[in-house]
Amino acid sequence: MIQLQGIGKTYEGKGAPAVRALRGVSVHIERGEFVAIVGSSGSGKSTLMNVLGLLDKPSEGTYLLDGQNVLDLSLDVQARLRNRRIGFVFQSFRLLPRASALDNVELPLLYSDRAAIDGMALSALESVGLADRARHRPAQLSGGQQQRVAIARALVNRPDMLLADEPTGNLDTRSAREIIELFQQIHRDGRTIVLITHDQHIAQHCGRILRMEDGRIVSDRGVERPLDAAAELESSAGRTELQPATEAP
Amino acid sequence: MNSGRLVSMAWQALGRYKLRSFFMMLGSLVGVTALTLVVSIGSGAKQKMADTVGKLFNASTIMITSGSGMILSGPRGDGARLTLDDIRALESELPAVEAWDPIQVIAPAQVRHRAADSSPRVLGVSERSEHVWARSVVRGEFFDVAAVARSDRVAVIGATVARELFAGEDPVGAELLIGQVPFRVIGLLEPFGTDLHGMDRDNEILVPISTMMRRLLNVDSIRGAKLLVRSPAQLSETARECKRILRERHGLAAGQPDDFTIMTTLEVQGMMAKSERIFSLFVPLAACLAVLAGGVVSAIVMLFSVRERTAEIGLRRALGARARDIASQFLLESAVITCVGGVLGILAGTALAVLLGTRLGLPEFLSFKAVAAGLAISSVTGLGFGVIPARRAAMLVPHEALRR
Repeated sequence: MIQLQGIGKTYEGKGAPAVRALRGVSVHIERGEFVAIVGSSGSGKSTLMNVLGLLDKPSEGTYLLDGQNVLDLSLDVQARLRNRRIGFVFQSFRLLPRASALDNVELPLLYSDRAAIDGMALSALESVGLADRARHRPAQLSGGQQQRVAIARALVNRPDMLLADEPTGNLDTRSAREIIELFQQIHRDGRTIVLITHDQHIAQHCGRILRMEDGRIVSDRGVERPLDAAAELESSAGRTELQPATEAP
Repeated sequence: MNSGRLVSMAWQALGRYKLRSFFMMLGSLVGVTALTLVVSIGSGAKQKMADTVGKLFNASTIMITSGSGMILSGPRGDGARLTLDDIRALESELPAVEAWDPIQVIAPAQVRHRAADSSPRVLGVSERSEHVWARSVVRGEFFDVAAVARSDRVAVIGATVARELFAGEDPVGAELLIGQVPFRVIGLLEPFGTDLHGMDRDNEILVPISTMMRRLLNVDSIRGAKLLVRSPAQLSETARECKRILRERHGLAAGQPDDFTIMTTLEVQGMMAKSERIFSLFVPLAACLAVLAGGVVSAIVMLFSVRERTAEIGLRRALGARARDIASQFLLESAVITCVGGVLGILAGTALAVLLGTRLGLPEFLSFKAVAAGLAISSVTGLGFGVIPARRAAMLVPHEALRR
């Protein structure tokens, strides 16, 4: 599905030395995979996600999406592609603060060419268990709930790929597990997910882990038995104290 | 993106950012209010000027005042040398003069009726005043030639005087005192309204010129006279002749200045045209400046709003908005808001114009041109000033915008 070949990205600063954020990144991601990209900050994982999501143009390399070279497409066609095929989940949720949960979820639909959009936003909210919060504003929701609204927004246009940049970074352990459980469920429904995290434990819930260092992919391994977030939630439900998330070394 | 969704989105965005929307709206509201107000008042004043001057000066009028003074406020200085005989001489020497009426004035005069008192202007005129000034009575009668010949103590009063002194009572037949001299009211003047100086021309009493000169003032001079000339074509020539005859009668040597002032319809028309030019230049200019100022305020608020909402723009781009979707959104937001501001401005400007117009005694003048211009200009500034911020917003690269 995704084929990156020799992707490099250099940021030319005015007067400052150029920063090479990506150096010759090549990777294939098949349809239906659940991939974690891990690495310390500054390793280039967010830049890679921007390239994958067509939010930023690489300085070199090719990007084939289902065999089509998407880097040559015009900005408007790329926007259309993002709208139809890619759902984004950000660390800081990025909800419009003054809009209701429902209006936030509806946002991608406004830019879609679908004729009938009635009810789609509400059913997306339902799928993340927040139908009863549809009229709430982000400030009236917990962090975990806000991220679920953001996931509903990412799903509303039924994309086949989900890109998540540190989706649990701003959440407590329990909310983080709930979000990961949601991702695992979305993955089971057949969607491709690329998740960026610096949290090793979170990455263990995915089927494949790419490790980045200094703008390169330094390891690429499959996870034999990914952790099951639903089971973890169940086992932790009886305990009075929550376990802190395991941080990557 | 379909336009229905776009409009509802713009509307929602405006609702979400109420304070910002309010300030943007204030820009166009103030501008259009000023425009509507200035144009309405300006047109009203212009109309008023034309009406008043039309009443005072018909097609061929010569106004003579003693001294080098103004027409309505009486002579300046001490050149009180104009007499009834002067004007009679003009009439007999100049066949073009069709009719004339002298004026003498006491302003203000102390006038009483029982306990009520008032300070109107008292004008001494002839029985021909009705014809020469084209102002008759609505009740009772005007004094006749015999009354003037006998110096009768009879008066024709204006509506304001009637209201102030007689408060609902029928004034015709009643007595009033001008100074210490008793007069009988014989008629109620046709209403006039305020003149160009804002003077209430219904706050007037007309008495026979002879009565005023002998019984009230004890003078043998008059303040001025209005002459009607038979045809406009004879106007300039007649005015020149008047000047010559008066200078001769007053024994003025060559080089000595006139001790009277002559003004004709032509000169008044010239002055009118001049002030109309000022009106028609100044009014739209002032209005345009007001609207421009409003537009600039809206544009600045919109520009700041684009900065403030950069992350939102980035998010929308990420979610699939094309550059033109973003541009349309911002453009529509500013168009909606300036139009709403424009409509409110028209309402506010109209209300103020009616209020002010009533105070100033201007004819009710709602300029539909101003309303249309207000709407047009507010939507054009809305679109025009919305373009820059909208373009700015649309040019942002999604990932750049998201980082802010």
